Amino acid sequence: MVVDDEREIRRAGWRLIGNAVRPQKWWIAGGITAGIVWTAAKLTIPLLAAAAIDDGLHQGDIGHVIRLTCVMIAVGVVQGICTGLRRYSAFRIALRTETDLRQRLFAHLQRLHFAFHDHAQTGQLMARANTDIQQIETLVILMPLTAASLVTMIGVIVIMALEDPVLALLALGAMPFLNIAAARFSKRIAPVNMDLQQELADLSGVVEESLSGIRVVKGFGAERMQIEKLEAEADAVLDRALASARLRAGFMPLIDFLPTLSMVAILFYGGHQVLAGQLEIGSILAFNLYIFMLIWPLRMVGMLIAQASRASAGGGRVDQILKTDLLITDAPGAVAMPVGPGEIRFEGVRFGYGPGRAVLNGLDLTIRGGEAVALVGATGGGKSTIGRLLPRFYDIEGGALLIDGVDVRSIRIAELRSEIGIVFEDTFLFSDSVRENIAFANPEASFESVQRAARLSGAEEFVTKLPDGYDTIVGENGFSLSGGQRQRIAIARAVLADPRILILDDATSAVDPTKEHEIRAALGEVMEGRTTLIIAHRPATIALADRVVLIDDGRAIAQGTHDELLASSQRYREVLAQAEAAGPIALDAAP
Amino acid sequence: MRGGWVEPGPLDDEDKLNRDQARSVLRRLWTLLGPYRSAVYVASLVLVAQTACLLAGPWLVRYGVDAGLIDKNASALNRASIAYLIVALIGLVLGRIVIWMVSKTGEQFLRYLRARVFKHLIGLSMGFFEREKTGRLVARMTSDIDALQELISQGLVMFVQNILIFFGAIVVIFWMSWQLALAVLVIVPPVVFASRWFRRESNRAYLEVRESIGTNMATLQEGLEGVRVVQAFGREGGWTRRFRDTNEAQFEANLETVRISARYFPLVEFTGVVGIAVIVGAGGVMVNEAIISVGTVLAFVLYLNNIFEPIQQLSQLYNTVQSSGAALQKIFGLLDTEAAVGEKPGAVDLPAEGVLKIGAVSFAYGGGPPDTDGVVAPEGPIVLSGVSLEVLPGERLALVGPTGAGKSTLAKLMVRFYDPREGHVTFGGVDLRDATLASLRERIVVVPQEGFLFAGTVRENVRVGRVGATNAEIDAAIAALGLAQIFESFPDGLDTEVRERGSRLSAGEKQLVSLARAALADPALLVLDEATSNLDPGTERQVELALERLSEGRTVVVVAHRLSTAERCDRIAVVDGGRLVEIGTHDELIERRERYSRLFAAWDAGQERTA
Repeated sequence: MVVDDEREIRRAGWRLIGNAVRPQKWWIAGGITAGIVWTAAKLTIPLLAAAAIDDGLHQGDIGHVIRLTCVMIAVGVVQGICTGLRRYSAFRIALRTETDLRQRLFAHLQRLHFAFHDHAQTGQLMARANTDIQQIETLVILMPLTAASLVTMIGVIVIMALEDPVLALLALGAMPFLNIAAARFSKRIAPVNMDLQQELADLSGVVEESLSGIRVVKGFGAERMQIEKLEAEADAVLDRALASARLRAGFMPLIDFLPTLSMVAILFYGGHQVLAGQLEIGSILAFNLYIFMLIWPLRMVGMLIAQASRASAGGGRVDQILKTDLLITDAPGAVAMPVGPGEIRFEGVRFGYGPGRAVLNGLDLTIRGGEAVALVGATGGGKSTIGRLLPRFYDIEGGALLIDGVDVRSIRIAELRSEIGIVFEDTFLFSDSVRENIAFANPEASFESVQRAARLSGAEEFVTKLPDGYDTIVGENGFSLSGGQRQRIAIARAVLADPRILILDDATSAVDPTKEHEIRAALGEVMEGRTTLIIAHRPATIALADRVVLIDDGRAIAQGTHDELLASSQRYREVLAQAEAAGPIALDAAP
Repeated sequence: MRGGWVEPGPLDDEDKLNRDQARSVLRRLWTLLGPYRSAVYVASLVLVAQTACLLAGPWLVRYGVDAGLIDKNASALNRASIAYLIVALIGLVLGRIVIWMVSKTGEQFLRYLRARVFKHLIGLSMGFFEREKTGRLVARMTSDIDALQELISQGLVMFVQNILIFFGAIVVIFWMSWQLALAVLVIVPPVVFASRWFRRESNRAYLEVRESIGTNMATLQEGLEGVRVVQAFGREGGWTRRFRDTNEAQFEANLETVRISARYFPLVEFTGVVGIAVIVGAGGVMVNEAIISVGTVLAFVLYLNNIFEPIQQLSQLYNTVQSSGAALQKIFGLLDTEAAVGEKPGAVDLPAEGVLKIGAVSFAYGGGPPDTDGVVAPEGPIVLSGVSLEVLPGERLALVGPTGAGKSTLAKLMVRFYDPREGHVTFGGVDLRDATLASLRERIVVVPQEGFLFAGTVRENVRVGRVGATNAEIDAAIAALGLAQIFESFPDGLDTEVRERGSRLSAGEKQLVSLARAALADPALLVLDEATSNLDPGTERQVELALERLSEGRTVVVVAHRLSTAERCDRIAVVDGGRLVEIGTHDELIERRERYSRLFAAWDAGQERTA
């Protein structure tokens, strides 16, 4: 069962590689032609050298020797040109394959639904786009090079056998052992090296945690403990490194030894054949040169086999992502976003993040066009989910979700999302300038509109104080902003998109309470004329809304103004009290 | 043509050493190698012997051809063949010995170097760690030492052997026939020249590849991490195009390296053919003139390989050797950094109990000893100036004040993470600078904001508080805080693996472990840095209870971020602008109607708004 799965994955991997390589058939044909000519040229050289020696020796015909020498140089030119061509085409094909596959993978990942990304880890996806595709690249490089190697091997065997079959057998007899030894070596060293890498990673883990936790280590004087941990890891590394060295010490010298055995055989048996008048001295030289030629191809074949296995597995994993269907797509005959006030209606909506994880259990909720509604409820109650169903990040499982009377699933997604601006709780900023981050929805937006959005979200003040103002690079490798600052840029990003429906998902949670009232006025202006969903805990934020809906256990259980709910709902008071207890009082911000 | 398509790794300027640096790195390495030196000598001898075996082969072929075939002497041919077989076998055995010896010595040396560098690193003072980026320090212990490991396992033997083979082969061919040797050597300059060109060009191209990969992977990662935002704003198309740009840039950069090698390898192969042609052509003439024998011509062709391959291999190994040298230099740089906060000779133990006294302390960050790159950090602005303060045994003092006021710095001076620029910090009358570090860590313990856990079990993490504590002592410390039940409820109780950075436990649970650690340390003075992050209300209560129990009977200084915490302390010190502006009990400070009372009023109003 598992084996079958694995085999199926590899088969899919092979199909993927085949399809990716096929468009480059002209480069492949060129590469193969160059490879064949190259092999032929290479095989000719020892024959020419042997002829030159024999002719010069026996006939003393210097003119003939010089002629043969010139032919050799001419053949060398052909060999040189062809080796350039075959290498260039092999690498080019491989790089093109790699680049195209990665592009396909990225484009597909960009369009895959939220639910897919909820389960996938970025690190894993990066590994697909990186390691797995590189394995394929390496295989594609090796294939034409190995093909040329195989032709070389066959050529050498045929030429030697024609010259002297017994000598060929003696000379080549030891060579397969090189291949066998190489295969055995790579098979045995692979797990050892993998263990070694693991131990090195563990060691680096100890170093990293010791340095990240240096305050604890120093605070308790626990240096000794970490040193002992590190020494244990260093011992484990040493152990594996020595295991790997032992294997290398066993194998590496064979690379020189086995061909030498062939040369001894050539000298001994070939020498006696020469004495017996069966063979020319030049052939001794030619045979030696042929042995040199075989060393690399024999190792290459072993490498190809190992690489093929890694690449097909990697290809299979890439293929699994590529064949994941997009769950959320435009319905056939999808319609335009309805022109209307932006009224939102949830009718008995049911939704869950997978079996047994029901979140909404028949939610009924109507938000009038232009109205601002705050959703309040305990963590895990489904508030954020409500905001994520509107732009179809997920599709509802039952009931109906309508915007101005039209089912969201029948609206073209691009239009739907362009009319809904959402500010997520955990803001993500790209490693671009502040300006580009704000103008994310519309990179062509004028600087004035960017400034306006920044002003409305309360970001203007701190942005102008940044080292390069709006051109300051932020994000992971850029200028580091506080959580509240990031949130304000995220709000500006949504404001600039100028959506009809605005969803603020805990969008000001990290903004300093004393600063919050400053942006409250501005937010009021932003919300003007838009339907707004506010997911919040703080009374100050809740106060922005016309109406408050208490969400509990996937249903709307009470609604009214903040004061009405405070007076009437025990559950409402509990939820607010819990939120309050969890939050720190920002002492630092006090005057 | 082994290693034919393996491309060298790139080097940037930072990875290069000039001649003087290289010489000093080598000299230090040699000193450090101390106990391993005899093994290095023996390995070198074995390597020379093995190389001699390799070079003997063509010489024996020559003898076999000349004495055996030309002179028609079968026994000479047999002698040559048997000798050839014997040297090949000896070479095989010596080859195995030398690889094993070099690897073993090298790996043991690395084991020693790892421990030594880590011991040195972890013994440096806090100021160093706050200044240096963790990533860079981790790199000293990982990628830099790994570079050396790679040299030992992949390159060192080959590097030395190739040099020996190259020069050995040249000596031998000159010995056989200086005329033919001179003729053949015309091919060496172009190959050397081309190999250097190739190394330089491919190095440059690979740096670009590395950079383009970096950019491309960053785009990829951002596209994945920000995929929700991308989809929310309908920017899938734009991002896919953006990725195409970086992806194609990576393709182009890679293709450039292929172009370079597509120019180099043809030349190398062509020159190899020219070499054979010259030997056969010129050799043929010389054989005819009876200047040399046929066997010599054959031996020349075989030696040609021994001259050719080392040039190529050395140009590829060059980068590995260079970057190892640079790595060693960086490691030495770290070993040269000295601890700013160290133990004085003749240091005394701190008394078990006593008054903590801060006397006219001033402090600024920066300055101090040079960092690993030999750069002295510029002296920063004054963080504390003229702060004096006493904490009595058993007292609880809160430090409050705005961000950047200096309250955390003050706490760091109390535990001697830094030494004050001026003034002094004493405990029980002993200046912390005169105390042994062991007694200091025993009496004074700091509990950081977030409970930092190491990979390992809960028990091991608690044991950090006092290395060497028995299980019973750990259980007692946990019980004293009333945490036994909570810890027992973990999947494997105290033996629960917390995983990397304690990822298996919640933030609150991590804090509880951190408090248990402090209880095990059983200090007289406890310095707490209050957490600013949110905990769920349930755990928050547990943390508070445990903290309460931990504080009993100890002197406590808490860096407070919440006024409710400050309110519970015996006295409150308000720090602002690096100065102590107010100190007294909660009631006294409220009475004074100054800074603290204003802070409190603002906070109280906030409470009412939400209530």
